[in-house]
Amino acid sequence: MTGTLRLIRLILRRERVLAPLWILLLGSLSAGQAARYARTFTSDATIADFATEMTGNKALLAFSGQVYAPTLAGMTVWKIADTVFVLIGLVTVLTVIRHTRTEEETGRAELLGSGVVGRAAPLAAALGFTWTASLLTGLITALGMIKQGFDAEGSLAFGLAVAAVGIVFAAVAGLAAQLTDGARTAVGLAGLALGVGYVLRFLADGSGREWLKWLSPQGWSHLVKPYATDDLTVLGLSLALTTALTVGAFALRARRDLGAGLLAQKPGPADGRVRSPLALAWRVQRGLLAGWVTGFAVAGVAFGALASAIPGLADKQGDSMREFFERYADNGHTDLVDTYLWLMALSLGYVCALYPLLAVLRMRAEETTGRAELLLTGAVARLRWAAGHLLIATLGSAAILTAGGLAMGAVAGDPWRVLGAVVLQVPAVWVLAGIGVLAFGLLPKAAGWICWGAFLFVNLFGEILGPIVGIPYATSKAVIPFLYLPKVISGGEFSAVPVLGLTVLAVALTAAGLAGLRRRAIV
Amino acid sequence: MKTSDAAIAVTGLRKTFGATVALDGLDLRVREGEVHGFLGPNGAGKSTTIRILLGLMRDDGGEAVLLGGDPWRDATALHRRIAYVPGDVNLWPQLTGGEAIDLLGAVRGGLDKTRRAELLDLFELDPRKRSRTYSKGNRQKVALVAAFASNAELLVLDEPTSGLDPLMEAVFQRCVTAERDRGRTVLLSSHILSEVEALCERVSIIRNGRTVETGTLDDLRHLTRTAVTATLAAPAPGLTALPGVHDVTTDGDTVAFQVDDGHLEAAMTLLAGAGIRGITSRPPTLEQLFLRHYESEATVR
Repeated sequence: MTGTLRLIRLILRRERVLAPLWILLLGSLSAGQAARYARTFTSDATIADFATEMTGNKALLAFSGQVYAPTLAGMTVWKIADTVFVLIGLVTVLTVIRHTRTEEETGRAELLGSGVVGRAAPLAAALGFTWTASLLTGLITALGMIKQGFDAEGSLAFGLAVAAVGIVFAAVAGLAAQLTDGARTAVGLAGLALGVGYVLRFLADGSGREWLKWLSPQGWSHLVKPYATDDLTVLGLSLALTTALTVGAFALRARRDLGAGLLAQKPGPADGRVRSPLALAWRVQRGLLAGWVTGFAVAGVAFGALASAIPGLADKQGDSMREFFERYADNGHTDLVDTYLWLMALSLGYVCALYPLLAVLRMRAEETTGRAELLLTGAVARLRWAAGHLLIATLGSAAILTAGGLAMGAVAGDPWRVLGAVVLQVPAVWVLAGIGVLAFGLLPKAAGWICWGAFLFVNLFGEILGPIVGIPYATSKAVIPFLYLPKVISGGEFSAVPVLGLTVLAVALTAAGLAGLRRRAIV
Repeated sequence: MKTSDAAIAVTGLRKTFGATVALDGLDLRVREGEVHGFLGPNGAGKSTTIRILLGLMRDDGGEAVLLGGDPWRDATALHRRIAYVPGDVNLWPQLTGGEAIDLLGAVRGGLDKTRRAELLDLFELDPRKRSRTYSKGNRQKVALVAAFASNAELLVLDEPTSGLDPLMEAVFQRCVTAERDRGRTVLLSSHILSEVEALCERVSIIRNGRTVETGTLDDLRHLTRTAVTATLAAPAPGLTALPGVHDVTTDGDTVAFQVDDGHLEAAMTLLAGAGIRGITSRPPTLEQLFLRHYESEATVR
């Protein structure tokens, strides 16, 4: 462990922009949501009505979790908690991998490891930093909630619940970093754990089989039930899992060599069958795509299974229920199941938007590592090189959504309509791909930031961030490509106009990005 | 010289990155069929020049002609005739070394299978290993095998041996010599002066983005001093006063000094008058040539 403190100082230096940004953003999200609800619901009675309506909406419960306290504080937690849990899980995974496996892969760890730095120090430093950052996020969340006038005990319980998710998934990432010798695979493994935790929690709340929640780290934080029971003992599970994962990670670290993983490499062919930029792009991209297709098929099964647990008829009287149907159904005659299916189709689209961005960032990684240069100094034009990756990114997006749509439709017992609704998201996903290509072509150095920013913006702005900063949904939805699509499964008629419009926009963004790529220097 | 015998003809090349001037009117002429050494301290602009020649970057002024074409506009067509080995080779972790070699061959317009096998043997490289398990030296060998087995007319090698051990360095030198004998042109950017001295007919030395010396090694030596050590029968007091003679030191009957090339004869006549019992003279090594430029750069800065 020698040198851990020095490494933490190095991490602080490298994270001085990014970490404060996410800690503040995630920490203030809850108080922002509380302030927004305080403006909307001006009496205890209105909030209680809202709580009753939401309790009857299984589709929304699956996303947000159960309503545990019909108060302003309780409903704030209900609305925002799961979003914060997912986001903090995602950033802690990325942070820990960035300071462990990525460091080893690039050889920087070797440079430091030859100095007075213990073998376990990089892992200890990464975990120490990320855990502290998670606790800080929890603390800011709690303080923000107290400032909104909520009781201190519940606010602290909520803050700890938030921190617990970050802490658990930091440890998950710490372990994943020991298993593989590539940083991307490590992110994939830890991301898979995050996804499994999410789906279990989702199924538990959507189906009413609440015991499933006990299998999910996010579920444990939900079970704290802030402002209802404030049951901190559940977090003992988070602590126990964190301890087990951490002990495991350090044990594995002690047993392996620097740079090596546990999953060994077999010798491969001596002669090449990869003879074109497209074939190479496929080799580079196929692992990522396979992971996404599998993930979407599994998620589709889970979401489809839930459709049968949702009552078709719902009370549409309350304001909030009316708003829900206005957002996700085309007309007042649509039943809850169809509305739920459209919401799920949209959600698959929102998540799938990350895939083409990651695919574009892989192309950028080919460039920064100098591997693209090896191809481009051969008889390969830049556009031909990029075309291979973009073909996989665009067709891959369609394949991912098809896999999710087929699985969800088959399980929900309505295969073709569901498949149609899910595949309809493709042009909106392509718009995100276009933004990625534009960034890659014109602002390559900022491409990583822009891609992740665009993904988070599309996912958070319309429903959560926009309303929190005072932009009504009616306005904020105008910048979200998915919300232009016809709600084909929840009462809407198919219309080619938005589909073509989004496709044209995606093509224009891509073309502009490629034009930039042709002109700029390869670095 | 006609442009047609030049594989590379660069005149007055300029490139700036923001406020930093990377190339400040650089000239470089590489004749067809020669091995040309491209020397300069770190940050002098060697890699920038090479990146412009490879069409990865655009110049801001001046002219660059590569195999008779425009390196930016005609990039794809020209690249069929070029093989490039970077100093820091990064390969696709998913591919084996053999797959990477064949991929590079395929995008360069062909690979000689027999030569590929010979070279793998010479460089003692196992082509079945995954690229991610290769050391720096082995990754470099992959790029070298791909380049030497290609049918390219021009090899552009940017510090290609920085990760090789002395044994492999010798193999590399044999390969470059063989390439020259087959009539291929080689641009060799290198820091290993013995390598440049052994392989290159002509060299260009650049500093701060400008060419400061260019010519054959013999030409360059003529511009500098010869080191002479002589054991004399009698003292030669006139030596210090002689024009072109520097750094005279006397130790008993032994005198050591340096003399500019044009004044060697006068110095010898003077020594002969004093009676020479023994004499050694060394032409300047490339290292001395090189250090002269490095040192003057230090004073410029």
